[in-house]
Amino acid sequence: MTTNIFGRKVLGFAVAALLLTTVIAPANGVEAQQRGSDPEHTLDLTWDRWLDHDEIGERMQLMARTWPQFLSLQSIGTSYGGREMWLMTVNNPATGPEEGKAAMMIEANVHGNEIQGAEVTLYTIWYLMENYGRIDGITKLVDERVFYLLPSVNPDGRDFFLDHTGSGARTGHVPVDSDGDGLFDEDGPNDINGNGIIEQIRKYTPGEGTHRISTLDSRIMERVGPDEVGDWVLLGFEGIDDDGDGRVNEDPIGGYDPNRNYASDWQPNYIQGGSMNYPFELPEARAINDFQMSHPNIAGFQSYHNSGGMILRGPGAAWQGRYPQSDIRVYDELGEFGERILPYYNYLVIWQGLYTVHGGSIDWTNDGLGIISFSNELWNGGQYFNSPLLQTQQQDPRSPINGQRSRYFFDDFLEFGDEYVEWAPFDHPQYGAVEMGGFKKLSGRVNPRFMSMELFHRNMAFTLYHADEMPLMTMGETTVERVDGDVYRVRVDIRNERVIPTITARARENNVVRPDLITVDGNVEIIAAGWVADKNRPGPTQLIDQEELDRIMVRSGHPGRTTKTIEYLVRGRGDMTVTYSALKGGTVSTTVRVR
Amino acid sequence: MCGAAVMTATLLSAGGSQAQSSSYLDFAGLTGELRSLVNGSSNASMRSIGMSRDGREVWLVEVGNTSGTPMSERPAVLVVGNLEGDHVVGSQLALETIRFLLNDPSAASVLSDQVVYVIPRLNPDGAEAMFASVKFDRRGNAFSYDADNDGRFDEDPGEDLNGDGMITLMRVPDPSGEFMVDPDDARLMKRADKAKGETGTHTLYTEGVDSDGDGFLNEDGPGGVDLNRNFQHEYPYYQADAGPHMVSEPETRALMDFMVANRHIGAVLTFGHTDNLVTAPNSSGQLADPSMIDLVSFAAEANSDIYRNGVFGAGGGGGRGFGGGFRFGRGGRTAARGSVLRGAQVGRDNDPQSGRRPEVVVNEQDREYFSAVSEAYREITGISEVGVNRKAEGAFFQVAYYQMGIPSFSTQGWGLPTGEAGDEDAGDDAPDEAAADEAAPSAGGGRGGPGGCGGAGGGSGGGSSDAGIDAKLIGAMDDAGIDAFVAWSTYDHPEFGEVEIGGFMPYVTTNPPADQLPELGRKHGEFVVRLAGMLPRVSIVSTEVTAHGGGVFTVTAEIENTGYLPTSLQHGVVSRAVQATMVQIQVDSESILTGDAKSSRVQRLEGSGSRASFSWVIRGNNGQSVEIFVRSQKGGTDTATVTLR
Repeated sequence: MTTNIFGRKVLGFAVAALLLTTVIAPANGVEAQQRGSDPEHTLDLTWDRWLDHDEIGERMQLMARTWPQFLSLQSIGTSYGGREMWLMTVNNPATGPEEGKAAMMIEANVHGNEIQGAEVTLYTIWYLMENYGRIDGITKLVDERVFYLLPSVNPDGRDFFLDHTGSGARTGHVPVDSDGDGLFDEDGPNDINGNGIIEQIRKYTPGEGTHRISTLDSRIMERVGPDEVGDWVLLGFEGIDDDGDGRVNEDPIGGYDPNRNYASDWQPNYIQGGSMNYPFELPEARAINDFQMSHPNIAGFQSYHNSGGMILRGPGAAWQGRYPQSDIRVYDELGEFGERILPYYNYLVIWQGLYTVHGGSIDWTNDGLGIISFSNELWNGGQYFNSPLLQTQQQDPRSPINGQRSRYFFDDFLEFGDEYVEWAPFDHPQYGAVEMGGFKKLSGRVNPRFMSMELFHRNMAFTLYHADEMPLMTMGETTVERVDGDVYRVRVDIRNERVIPTITARARENNVVRPDLITVDGNVEIIAAGWVADKNRPGPTQLIDQEELDRIMVRSGHPGRTTKTIEYLVRGRGDMTVTYSALKGGTVSTTVRVR
Repeated sequence: MCGAAVMTATLLSAGGSQAQSSSYLDFAGLTGELRSLVNGSSNASMRSIGMSRDGREVWLVEVGNTSGTPMSERPAVLVVGNLEGDHVVGSQLALETIRFLLNDPSAASVLSDQVVYVIPRLNPDGAEAMFASVKFDRRGNAFSYDADNDGRFDEDPGEDLNGDGMITLMRVPDPSGEFMVDPDDARLMKRADKAKGETGTHTLYTEGVDSDGDGFLNEDGPGGVDLNRNFQHEYPYYQADAGPHMVSEPETRALMDFMVANRHIGAVLTFGHTDNLVTAPNSSGQLADPSMIDLVSFAAEANSDIYRNGVFGAGGGGGRGFGGGFRFGRGGRTAARGSVLRGAQVGRDNDPQSGRRPEVVVNEQDREYFSAVSEAYREITGISEVGVNRKAEGAFFQVAYYQMGIPSFSTQGWGLPTGEAGDEDAGDDAPDEAAADEAAPSAGGGRGGPGGCGGAGGGSGGGSSDAGIDAKLIGAMDDAGIDAFVAWSTYDHPEFGEVEIGGFMPYVTTNPPADQLPELGRKHGEFVVRLAGMLPRVSIVSTEVTAHGGGVFTVTAEIENTGYLPTSLQHGVVSRAVQATMVQIQVDSESILTGDAKSSRVQRLEGSGSRASFSWVIRGNNGQSVEIFVRSQKGGTDTATVTLR
């Protein structure tokens, strides 16, 4: 197979898919492992170029066809611009239906320019499938859990970023009248010199400017000090006055923040810019919420953003108050673990470590849906020069990788100048003689392509760790003890093996997750039920004061990494099946013989 | 007699558009009446802006003369009724408002210069319950909601045990009860004041049985979301009747989408359980304190422990705490146990106090406008006091002001019945700000636990710690001869033994007797005409051209707001929700030599004849026509043409 079969051509992958069927068997077999080298991939995908929306769809369809026993592809809705919102479900039906297993939802690219999360998401599907049956940890994860993977929440923004000039691609594409003239999106940046790039505009204004050209590198524009004068002014992005209102680029496409449109601590536009008119007004946010609300088995959520190297959790605003202590402990354990998996990433609370966000998606999934949620900010600029030696050099003012110079150095010698456009004169219709130039769209927030593999894999690894720590209910030891006559004491150990509780404290406060249910089937009469304080010592049993003892509600859920012993006093004989059902931790049963 | 009239779902047989409706209309009846009104007039049209959960249309009637200025460029008023399912009167008043606008000569200028949008019944599914054989105050729509979060949906509604066609209340003898019969009126109950040596004798419930056998009564009935608690200002998060999140319902979403698509709406009137018209926001910008019915709140308390049942483990609260002691079942894999977690890093360590909070009181500069409209309302309707007045959490009219920046009003649409006399004290007590401030946090504590669980709509959103309005309400009803109360009578309850069933009749505390509808409707029609007449109206009142020779001219234009309201309330400016009024000279921007920008803006032009002037020095040709255009989002558009000479 050629390495680059996933180009833009549909024909290309159709041919490839045919070829693939012939190589599946040996790739997964024992034989391949015994060769001692890497087994061949079932799908020999490459990960060193950014995919537009069509290519993402093609790649997902290809994977769904390749591993039909585990993967199912659906569109959960269409974006404003009519693009399908592809979502892949990873589930092993042999280990049970989706809704009976805790699910990890992974999404990315809600901001159109924050693209690399989509590739992390695709890589995750691919990695799970390639290694199912090969690496025990992956096999177990796929067997125990369900994954919902949505590579691009904002496909309109993504394509605008990748297939067009890419300027102002953070927003979605619902039209907004940003300048209040009754017209929508009528004056955005323009590629007036036709090179496919929206550049910066600078104008030479001797003795009257705010900037000067750096003596260290003529490409660098430095802002002059308060008592100095410069020879240049910066006039913003490349563009003209499209609507003839005397202003340039004042009403570009969209103009809102698609990650401020969620329903927890949503605030109007004057408090939270870009929030739109009400939560879930945006078709993309609404489609995601509809999906999440109809999948209460989702227990973990990751929303990939860029950049800065962060593992973020809520709350987004200080005035929402702190999370309950028991939830904080869970987040801390996961977040601090993540810092070991992801060098250059810091575990932070959004409002405190980044900035205040009202109506962000992970606040809603935590508060409104009871899902332990993180948002990773992919890529940290510290990774450009990622050794102690180089970072020491960066502190040295004489070093060519000091300060702003480092970015030019990196582009010159590692990207071979690919991400920079030299300043060049241009005759602007409104500004007159100016120069245009500057860094291209991929520079800065998006990692260099050659560093993608590590970024993809480490972020996936953290998210798989998160998924593995979702609640996992199991039944433990059972005992039956005759008390008197046909009255028996039955004890059952119920375990959550993982860190995350079946119901977070916040979810219980808000009553947004159905209580866990302990049901009993069998021909016995339940006289009393209670929780045993310590089954190895004599002591009290906390009676459960509910009317229906064959359907006990546990609003507080089952804590993480804990075993609880429930005790039933029953009358009768025969099989007695105790079932523990947690929406976010699975359903497990055990049957004891009462006699 | 009147109470019985309220109960009757009589369809109006006289279909003519002149005849006012004096009975409450179910969905088919209302739809038919709207159709006949619209079909009988060239000045009205109707369409559906969305479907309810049960598949009923949310009707919008557009009232305005279709010739002349396009509707979307006219100043507009939006009237919305029946957001709460039990506030059926709102839809009837909205219907009568349409009729008034179409038939009364005083509405002629509104029809030609403005447009009135009327959504009579936002909650048709909830309203339909008024016409069911067994009635209760159903506020919610048809969203199926697990109100007690037990994994079962709508499994424990109230029941009409005594077969009188109504679900009222039960008072159950209970030595550990909190309540006692009110010594001043044996129909009413009061909380026993132990400090005064009073002993509680009863617990109150809504009428019914424990259908799901969970030990709680009527805690999860039909009627999911109270639409007037589903909007995004001061939203009551995670309350049982407020929906899973803001604007979660198809009906509320349809209304928001309509608002967003029609930003020329310059004033909103809603009919609902909250008032800001009979009593205007006080001098601090706050609404009058809520006034709720104690009997209903007391009954809701019976289920206040519902979310605590089933909470186990350390810190579980509710007295069921178990003190920890669970064993860890897994060790070794992580370093968590025994190790000290550092917690999230502080990063930038932003100031927790920073950031702006949303406004929650009416802007100081807007208060006089609210007062003036309130005064007009009282003058026209004669209503001086309301009965039930609910706290405005998640109410639509609040969003229209606080988020969209436009004058927005809510009224019950009818007053507490004034009998022979004795209401002098009532009108004076509410608006006084000092009194309101003092009254707020006194005795009583909270009402405890989640409200709104009751099948009968519960006491959600009360929030007042003052005594209820039961005595006042029942007194007024008595005086007016309205049969509003089911006298307590004994009943042999399957779970409690002998109890008494009684209480306020459904719908009676929130809807006036049907025979008052025509008169109330006419008055509200009149009020809407007055309100529409207050909208801003912007026009270009004068232009001037001065020739300087050499093809250089100064063009001056003056605009005026002849309406009463400003082009934007101050909060419209603060919230950045109302666009500035834009004045634009239609020449290439390169032709403008100096002076104002091609598109100039004035944030807020006061009403009552306030003016603003703009000048451009332009290059042009002698004899050339130049157009000047003004666009006010809430005050209409205008153009003027000048000739350069």
